[in-house]
Amino acid sequence: MSVLAQIFRPGMRHALPILVFLLGGFAAPLLAVIAFSFVPSRTFSLWSDWSFDNYVEIFNSSSYITFVWSLGLAAATVAILAVICYPVAFGLTRVFGRYATLITLLFTLPLFVSENVRLYGWILIFIKNGVLLGTLKSLFGWEPESIVFTHGLTLMGMVYVYLPFMLFPTTLGVSMVPQQTRDAAFDLGASRWQVFREIDLPLAMPGIVIGFLLTFVLAVGAIAEAKVLGGQQIIPITHDIEIAFTYAQNWPLGAALSVLLMLVVGTLVLIVLRRFDLDAILGRR
Amino acid sequence: MSTFKQTRRDFLQNSALMAGGLAVGGLTGMGAASARAKELNILCWEGYNSAQVLDPFRESTGATIRAESLTNDPTMINRLRAGETNIWDLINVNNPWARKIMYPEGLIKPIDRARFEPYFDKMLPGFKPPYKWAMDDAGAQLLGMAQRFGPYSFVVNTDKISRATAEDQGWDLWNDAANNGKYGVQASDDWNVFDICCIAGFDPFREHTDEEVAKYSETAKRVYKGAKMVGDLATMNQALVSGEIDFYLTGGTYSCSPARADGALNIRAVTPLRGPLEGGKGGISWIEITSVVNNPDISDHAEDFLEYVQSPEMSHTVAFAEGTFNPVTQMGNSACFDLFTKEELDIIQWDSLEEEMARSVEYDIVPDYDKLLDVMTAAKREVSGG
Repeated sequence: MSVLAQIFRPGMRHALPILVFLLGGFAAPLLAVIAFSFVPSRTFSLWSDWSFDNYVEIFNSSSYITFVWSLGLAAATVAILAVICYPVAFGLTRVFGRYATLITLLFTLPLFVSENVRLYGWILIFIKNGVLLGTLKSLFGWEPESIVFTHGLTLMGMVYVYLPFMLFPTTLGVSMVPQQTRDAAFDLGASRWQVFREIDLPLAMPGIVIGFLLTFVLAVGAIAEAKVLGGQQIIPITHDIEIAFTYAQNWPLGAALSVLLMLVVGTLVLIVLRRFDLDAILGRR
Repeated sequence: MSTFKQTRRDFLQNSALMAGGLAVGGLTGMGAASARAKELNILCWEGYNSAQVLDPFRESTGATIRAESLTNDPTMINRLRAGETNIWDLINVNNPWARKIMYPEGLIKPIDRARFEPYFDKMLPGFKPPYKWAMDDAGAQLLGMAQRFGPYSFVVNTDKISRATAEDQGWDLWNDAANNGKYGVQASDDWNVFDICCIAGFDPFREHTDEEVAKYSETAKRVYKGAKMVGDLATMNQALVSGEIDFYLTGGTYSCSPARADGALNIRAVTPLRGPLEGGKGGISWIEITSVVNNPDISDHAEDFLEYVQSPEMSHTVAFAEGTFNPVTQMGNSACFDLFTKEELDIIQWDSLEEEMARSVEYDIVPDYDKLLDVMTAAKREVSGG
């Protein structure tokens, strides 16, 4: 079959609108960002001499600090959320019974409120003379140091914001573990630890890995937590990109930083996907 | 039973005639009344995009008005540079851009002096025509209208640092290590470049030597290291009111007015008595100039809107539109000034406005801004790395 004939097969013909939409709406902006990363610093035209100067500038600068912060905070967020979410997911699937829906709803509700509003809410709680410290002061005369604008609160904010993105895939993973398999293991004399290590965890892994990936990719792109709760004590890479596109008006540098971030995150995700073949563990092949 | 009597040939003929008629009608329509007769696009700082300002104009003209608010000048200018001159009709930015950048680059066009200069006549004394920042270099063309303005140096909690002490110490507040952890830095990076120059002891609005840039870099690291936090103006005001910090840069009546409107009159914009700026002045002020974009298909309403916001009532509305509250040039006209209540005058620090403006130089272009901004961004990044 010729290429033309293949393109005009009914399936392809019907897929054409969505294909055009994806190319225009998804691929084109991405390609524009990649192209911009090669044009001279602080210029606005794609039709100029392309070079790797922006990348050289990044490698000669202290931008690695912001990369380390973003990747480190994202990894820490994922690790903390894994520890928090697995027991909650287990509870939602096997323990809470009819209350599970209500508890799920409570975890979902914050998603309906803008992230910035929620983060400013935390500031009101933790700021000096705010809801928490003000109450402690007026009730007990105790004035502990405030924890706003610290690294710790930035991490707490990220854990709080990204919790649902880890919890729901993990819950899906835990619910995929057949109760009969667990019962059989217990009947054969397995301890709780053995069941957890050899049945629960491996069989729930597809959901957990999806949670890891989703949370990590979102958390690497986080900016509001470090800005609002952390008082910019931490500068993540996304903040560097924002400065390049706004105050510095250095679109090519911002584009090069974005491309590098995509490469780093893409590579990390590919490594994880090579280790865990999602299709295989989901039973598709 | 069908009553459709047309033959296929008749139908095709009629359709072709109708289509042709529509096309011709559409074209003549476009010729008779511009496609932009019912549309106005404004690129501005917040306030001009508020319903209080726009709705009466929408009602009187029936036009669709789109106003996009941004919070830094370079972004707005570069959007025009990137080709958006065919989208926007009006641009509202700080004083130096119209005269020094946008007009020479052909991004804006002059407005009718005869129509608009009478409005300058009624403004406060510092804005009488020909007003420097509204004119081109040759002093021949009027490039826009002045409205909101204010001093913009730093803000203190006067319960912690008296106004007199803050004015006297000025930028040295940031050179005193004892103040580390007691101040914030507003995330207004273009203005922070100016302020860090002032703290380092030199005028920002000129080329800088390598020694000065080195000192600037050291100062930027010190200022960011000693900062309790960096954040937006809402965070700064909240931190001042709650007692997290005692003062912040950059700030002025614009940034602290929401806190003062909320009753926190101890939160006050301060202009240093002296400093490294031209003439030994200690502060910097801004004046917004709103210009007509050099749009090849400019809206019919562009100049009308400029005139509309100059009326005493609308000037007062602009001064107290949502977000922040600011003095306006039309306060020189008693018909406008009388609309301000005592509380409103307190919010915009009318009591000291004249002397603070006198102690300030006007915002200007920093010739080596790109270099200084990059140094400051790197300093902030390195401080965050410990």
